[in-house]
Amino acid sequence: MLRDPLFVPKHTKGRPMPEGRFWEKEYSSARVWLAGGAVWMAIGTLAGLGSAIHLVAPDFFANIPWLEFGRIRQVHVNTVLFGFVVQMLIGCALYIMPRVLATKLFSEPLANLAALFFNAGVVLGDIGLMAGYTQGREYAEYIFPADVLLVIALVMVAVNMVMTLVRRNEQLLYVSSWYFAGAIVWTVFMYPLGNVMWHPATGAETGITDAIFLWFYGHNVFGLLVTPLAVGIAYYMFPRIAGAPLYSQALSIIGFWSLLLFYTHIGAHHLIQAPIPTWLKTVSIIDSFAMMLPVATVLVNQWYTARGRFGRFLTNPSAKLMLVGTIWYAIVCIQGPLQSLAVVQRVTHFNNWVVGHAHIAVLGFTGFIALGGMYYVLPYVTGRRVYSEKLINIQYWLILLGLLDFFIVLTIAGLIQGQDWLNGATVYRTVPQMKPYMTLRLAGGLMIITGAFVGVYNVLMTFRKGEPINP
Amino acid sequence: MSALWTKTRAFVGSPAAVIVAGSMLVLVAATFATVLWPVYTMKHKPSSLWRPNRTLEDEGRLRYIANGCTYCHSQYVRPQDWGIGAERIAESGDYHQQQPHLLGSERTGPDLSQEGGEHSDDWHLAHFINPRFTRPRSLMPRFAFEGDRNIKALVAYMQSLGGKNADARVAAQKRFHAEAIAAYRKGPDENIEWLHSRVPRSWRAMPTESPVTDASVARGEKVYQDYCIGCHGPVGDGEGPAARYLEPRPVNFTTLRRHLIDRKYIGGILYYQIMNGITGTAMPYFKKDLESAKIWDVSNYLERNFIGHTDDKYPDVGIPASYEGKEAGPVTDQPAPEPPSRSVAP
Repeated sequence: MLRDPLFVPKHTKGRPMPEGRFWEKEYSSARVWLAGGAVWMAIGTLAGLGSAIHLVAPDFFANIPWLEFGRIRQVHVNTVLFGFVVQMLIGCALYIMPRVLATKLFSEPLANLAALFFNAGVVLGDIGLMAGYTQGREYAEYIFPADVLLVIALVMVAVNMVMTLVRRNEQLLYVSSWYFAGAIVWTVFMYPLGNVMWHPATGAETGITDAIFLWFYGHNVFGLLVTPLAVGIAYYMFPRIAGAPLYSQALSIIGFWSLLLFYTHIGAHHLIQAPIPTWLKTVSIIDSFAMMLPVATVLVNQWYTARGRFGRFLTNPSAKLMLVGTIWYAIVCIQGPLQSLAVVQRVTHFNNWVVGHAHIAVLGFTGFIALGGMYYVLPYVTGRRVYSEKLINIQYWLILLGLLDFFIVLTIAGLIQGQDWLNGATVYRTVPQMKPYMTLRLAGGLMIITGAFVGVYNVLMTFRKGEPINP
Repeated sequence: MSALWTKTRAFVGSPAAVIVAGSMLVLVAATFATVLWPVYTMKHKPSSLWRPNRTLEDEGRLRYIANGCTYCHSQYVRPQDWGIGAERIAESGDYHQQQPHLLGSERTGPDLSQEGGEHSDDWHLAHFINPRFTRPRSLMPRFAFEGDRNIKALVAYMQSLGGKNADARVAAQKRFHAEAIAAYRKGPDENIEWLHSRVPRSWRAMPTESPVTDASVARGEKVYQDYCIGCHGPVGDGEGPAARYLEPRPVNFTTLRRHLIDRKYIGGILYYQIMNGITGTAMPYFKKDLESAKIWDVSNYLERNFIGHTDDKYPDVGIPASYEGKEAGPVTDQPAPEPPSRSVAP
């Protein structure tokens, strides 16, 4: 243990908020990114509702092109991923980064401008998808102009992160700052590569090569963008909530470097059954299992920090959300390596099992931590208490129960589909069997959506009517 | 500014710079190992079935991408697959020049990599207008909003999937389509006679190999509703909602009554045609969807409900399944309805 990484940032204590335009004020960018994330969560889950309705009642939106399943599904995936999760996580990071470095954010206007570009990218991308303008590659569907807007925004955030590192007053680099700076800088490199932005018309490479590019990116969006951001936030919150120093600095170093080393090799496990080189599949499976190392180090480190003090996490709604996020992280990262095995994928690939896995990854792990981080950070960046703790708890239960429903129902549905196909049933024969599961999934989705709207209300009311905290 | 410069200089040699720069190095190395190296070392040659797309097919492909079809339909067949296209396991050269790839990650609907020639053009048209017209339990959205031109392009794209293998299947469709349409235009009875003539002799004089029991007919009804009702209609007259898009139109089962083989048999013909379909028409084969018992059940349903004649009582030389023979006794308290005494065979 080098030094207690917990410190009270001096520069914010007792100082009045600086005067100026709203985009120059301290933490204004964090406010914008967090609010944006909350609103996109509602919109993104609503798009998910549209997709889920299709799978129960395919004629519900009959002949409405912009609500057609294939289009609205892409809107759902990209909106919750970029609009909600990435945006909310960056919002938290914009507050935490300067705090752990005992300095101010390099540039508030720059971060606000980045939010403008980022949201413009999501809006443009979503409208494009609904109008049928898509690149048709999972997680990389946004058309070129939207890609450009997102990359510009990410470059701005990267500059901000690195320059905040440069201007730090705290010499000890707390692990959260590594993850934040790393996540954004890596993504600036990886996003254009995976989106094949040197081919603006299609955003794709040629032949089976394209699949290798896509899934390198497709998995790295989780591994190198949302995972490090979420882990960084959890690393900040665990010692703060527990009131104890981080369990081990050494584990955090191992976790960071092994995440980067292993996560970058596993994209091909999405293509285990596709005609790509066998050695690449082998590498992806081995590294998928190696992923248990960074995951275990992170979770051991964080949970040991909270050892004996878990009560504090259960009485604090934001900490509770974050803690449950780390539990989902454990579940998703035990399930993930197992389903990378060829023998497991024989059953689970191509069906709803994977959909369940994706939901506990994005909403369970990163979404819960994003929400927990947001409610934790909101009072510091608004100077107001969260409007209603009760509403946070309601949102917590709605989303948790909805997501549990998703995970259980979709896993069962996937196993039925997978085993049936393996036994020779055609896909068409398994379609009617999905009806009860798709209906239950729709019910779970309604809970999650209700939770998202409760969240939007709570966040907006915090801005407007939250009880001011006395300076 | 000079303070920032001092800090920047301090940053360059600091652990923070090592983390940022070092991690980028690791990422670049990983990119090289898992993206650039496999791409560089892979063979980029077309496979034996690959051929370039035609203009209309490419247009259809763009509509396929625009509507996100790839999120329900994969385009690669795996060694363990049984459904459509299972004769051809995907090879990397099948995807030559495709940009983007459309491998897909989910099978809410069937794999389409070998769809070309598996169904007729008019089947696809009805299916795009409303998928439940031809596949009653389908979850696919309707695509009537795409308009005639785009649907035509989409159909062309469907028929191209599988490259040269698809072309061979499409050629078979065309060959039998000419015969089928000629017979259909001669009249309903001539149409049936032609259809019968395309069933192998050994199958024609064959009674149903599964007794027409109430239970069998009830199971057959379920199969009929899940697979047949969209074209042949709820009363078996060939006037289902898909019928208006199809040429030749679906068979009216009630006319089969006039065309019993030896004034007795129809079961074998029904089985054969359900099993293999009638290539060249919108009637697909069902042998991948339905096991043997289900095909007999649905043909028993057709016999009792629409044809009004059952042929399971005619003796045969075979050894029946243990539960079906005379020794097994009556399978139901209610006797199956007797076929009408008056034959209307021509």
